Amino acid sequence: MVKQEIGRLIDIEKRIKDMAKEMGLLTTDILFEIVSAQKVLEGMSYMFPVNYSHWTFGRDYERNRTIYENTGSGIPYEQVWNFDVPRAYLVETNPFALNVLILAHVYGHVDYFLANRYLQHGRSFSNVAEEARNAAIRFQKYEERYSQKEVEKVIDAGMSIMWHQNPDPFFEEQDEEVVRERLVDLERAKLERTHDIRSEFKKTETQGEIEKIERRLEHLLAKTPPEPNYDLLNYIIKRSPKPLKPWMIDVLTVVRNQARCLAPNQRTKGGNEGWATYCHIRMVNQLHKEGLLTSDEHGTANKFHSGVTRELKHSFNWYRIYLALLENIKERWDKGRFGKEYEEEQDHHKRSVWDTKANLGDQKVLQVRALYSDRMLVEEFFTDDFIREQQIYIWMGIPHDDGSVDYIIAEDDPAVIREEIKQMCTHYGLPQIIVENGNFNGQGHLLLKHVWTGFELDRPYMNATLEKIHYLWGKKVFLEIMMDGKKQAISYDYQNKNGKNGKK
Amino acid sequence: MPIVVSESVAERGKKDARRHREKHWEAIKEKLPELIGNESIITKRGNKTYKIPLKALDIPHFRPSRGEMQEGFGQGPGQPGDEIGHRPGQGQPNMPGSGPGEDYIEAEFDPEEIIALVLEDCALPKLEDKDLREFTVEIGWKIAGRAKTGVWANLDRRATMKEGVRRFWNFLEALKIETGLDNLTCFRALKQADGLLSDALEILKDKKITFEAAAVEPWPIYTNEDLRYFKIDEDTEEQSNAVIIAMMDVSGSMSDMKKYLARAMLFWLNEFLNRKYSRMVIRFIIHHSTARVVEEDDFFSTRESGGTNCYTAYEIANSLVETEYPTDQWNVYVWHFSDGEDGNPERTIEELEKLIKQGVNMVGYGEVKASENYQWFTSDSGLWKTFQNHFGLKEGKENGVPMMAGDTKLPLLCVRIEDRENLLPALKAFLRKDRWAKW
Repeated sequence: MVKQEIGRLIDIEKRIKDMAKEMGLLTTDILFEIVSAQKVLEGMSYMFPVNYSHWTFGRDYERNRTIYENTGSGIPYEQVWNFDVPRAYLVETNPFALNVLILAHVYGHVDYFLANRYLQHGRSFSNVAEEARNAAIRFQKYEERYSQKEVEKVIDAGMSIMWHQNPDPFFEEQDEEVVRERLVDLERAKLERTHDIRSEFKKTETQGEIEKIERRLEHLLAKTPPEPNYDLLNYIIKRSPKPLKPWMIDVLTVVRNQARCLAPNQRTKGGNEGWATYCHIRMVNQLHKEGLLTSDEHGTANKFHSGVTRELKHSFNWYRIYLALLENIKERWDKGRFGKEYEEEQDHHKRSVWDTKANLGDQKVLQVRALYSDRMLVEEFFTDDFIREQQIYIWMGIPHDDGSVDYIIAEDDPAVIREEIKQMCTHYGLPQIIVENGNFNGQGHLLLKHVWTGFELDRPYMNATLEKIHYLWGKKVFLEIMMDGKKQAISYDYQNKNGKNGKK
Repeated sequence: MPIVVSESVAERGKKDARRHREKHWEAIKEKLPELIGNESIITKRGNKTYKIPLKALDIPHFRPSRGEMQEGFGQGPGQPGDEIGHRPGQGQPNMPGSGPGEDYIEAEFDPEEIIALVLEDCALPKLEDKDLREFTVEIGWKIAGRAKTGVWANLDRRATMKEGVRRFWNFLEALKIETGLDNLTCFRALKQADGLLSDALEILKDKKITFEAAAVEPWPIYTNEDLRYFKIDEDTEEQSNAVIIAMMDVSGSMSDMKKYLARAMLFWLNEFLNRKYSRMVIRFIIHHSTARVVEEDDFFSTRESGGTNCYTAYEIANSLVETEYPTDQWNVYVWHFSDGEDGNPERTIEELEKLIKQGVNMVGYGEVKASENYQWFTSDSGLWKTFQNHFGLKEGKENGVPMMAGDTKLPLLCVRIEDRENLLPALKAFLRKDRWAKW
């Protein structure tokens, strides 16, 4: 990039920042780095600007690079991190107009980081980037001392369960003993209630109830974890009888922290990308109107915009669909198409020309971007009308004997589609697994449980994951799962590797 | 707000990508025992590329099981039932295995690539020059220097001229010393004497100089001694020649599977040696009760019934070595594949000993016992037992494959192959470096 262009970019960036403020966006200083395409590809693949070495990052890097080098459309887009001082990359070889578009897009993201309650939470982990930089150095030393293979084993195992966190993103983790105390107090309070009743009036059921509570109390005092724990990695780090060596604990802790920092991004992927796109198209149009972008450049920017938001026959384009959703919300609130009266109106024509000139669109989208996760957006705003308008469907691949596959539209019922998209946005499709007992069989075995949410686990993946957990736990690992749609509690015994499931 | 131009950083991505590829490579290696017995590679027929299902390299994690049908979201016009795409079939749908965490991707390889992979992975011996017997072969003529004698056609004019001029100066110097006269006078005398030193001396002594010259103009003066000829030598090259004499039992008991195993062994041995020797010949001998030399195709397709006399094959091998592939010019490998039945094992041993006496590099005996008719398999099968007893061979197992090997004086290796899985260990045994480096 030549000096002149950088100068112009700096001017435009100033204008974009003002524009963001005019639109009601939150802004802060953003560090833009002009880098090589390779560095963006690395940034896309390593989750953080600098991170430890691992083959999965290498795999993603190679994949991204292949796409970049082999497809004409492969231009590395923006890479922005939700840090205290947000950091973003601009690719030196990108067309000028594309870098302007990215600047605007990044301001959209940064606003979302600052305003959205889920991502505000993510920012509290923002020291993780610094931690990643340091971890890269420490892990390398571990590799020198314990061999790359050994370190890799621990990272592999940690990564296999790193997304298993408490489903409540605002959950503050507590010490096991604190939890235990709280639960014990709860049971004791129940017990005290029964003491109030004079003994002669005590029914036998009450007597039974008392005994039950007492048994529970006794159990509770010894039980680990005192209540089911969703944070598998945390539980293993703290409780593994293997025992884990200090360097292993360090590695696992870094892996876990990174996942915790990035998890909120996954809950808000659609809203975040939709919002950044919603902002950049407005800003770029405004820049053109003000003469800061030539018509040629405006055309180039628009071309990239329509590339990003194109309709995909075979997959879910988050940029397109969530942008359309925000535009839809803006229009509805501008025209007053909400509330009881509108909802109950059955007349199609009346609905289609409905306009109360409410002009609340801007206010509403700002509210939406602050308060909603992707799943909540689906529940509230993916109306039948919207899904039909967007022509979203579910396709199915019908395989033939010769190995060919026909892809057929299988479903276009808005109710079904809404439900499926909601599924996709719930815990990013991750099954819920809890630690039920860390001293199972009284022998330090680990008992995990799959919380039934309507689908079975992929068996080969499940077995391989259990193998990883077993490596970290060092003793037998069991998992209670559902089978064949029946609420059937079976256990998986890692030792019995061939997958014969013994009844518990 | 800051827009900074970043400095380039270390290429971490490439390093980790390399580790990823290494892991892929490990996955391929696991497949090699299967690959090595793969028909389409060995016959080099059929598909141009060969698909190897590889474990997709993914971190295993808990995930919902996917149904039989592939499905997903899409956008665009259309109603249920409308086709939105089609993927053409690519042969048989490949059914992945069900091992833990195994999600398969199909990697495409060229058969040549697989051959290279196998040979590399087998840790097949890297032969060094001393392991190969090399032979001098004439390839033509070459200039090997200069000589004072030779045929006129080979005269090196340039070198000869140089010698002549040197001689002129020497003569001139000699004249000056002898007569004490100046350069020019001596030159005129030498010129007048037409280069003859004694005549020039006389002319000078007699002071009969008639030749006039203003300056010394050297010219070459030749005597026979000054002639220089190109030295022409025969040009030779150190070549490594190898012949494999492949012998196979085609009697009724050799089923297709057994022949297949024999063929697979030969294929890989050939591929390997081909990369080591500059010239490589394979001769095929089939035998039942009698033996004959055949072409490659016949070698594998012939099936005959009748009794079995292995010695007939060894006999032909002996005469081939004697007449066409003498061991002072050829590395000779004799490999025999049979199911062990032999009508006349004593004669076979006789012929085999003769081969070893001739100095062949190795006699390999592969006893193929396809598991399809397992009842044939008894450890005291004819030839195996005979070799063992006669040569006092010790039977052992390598990677589950029974083997017997002679000492350094007896380059005989016997291997028993029961199925495709045995091919790789058998191959390694056949080609193990230290086994034949000693002699």
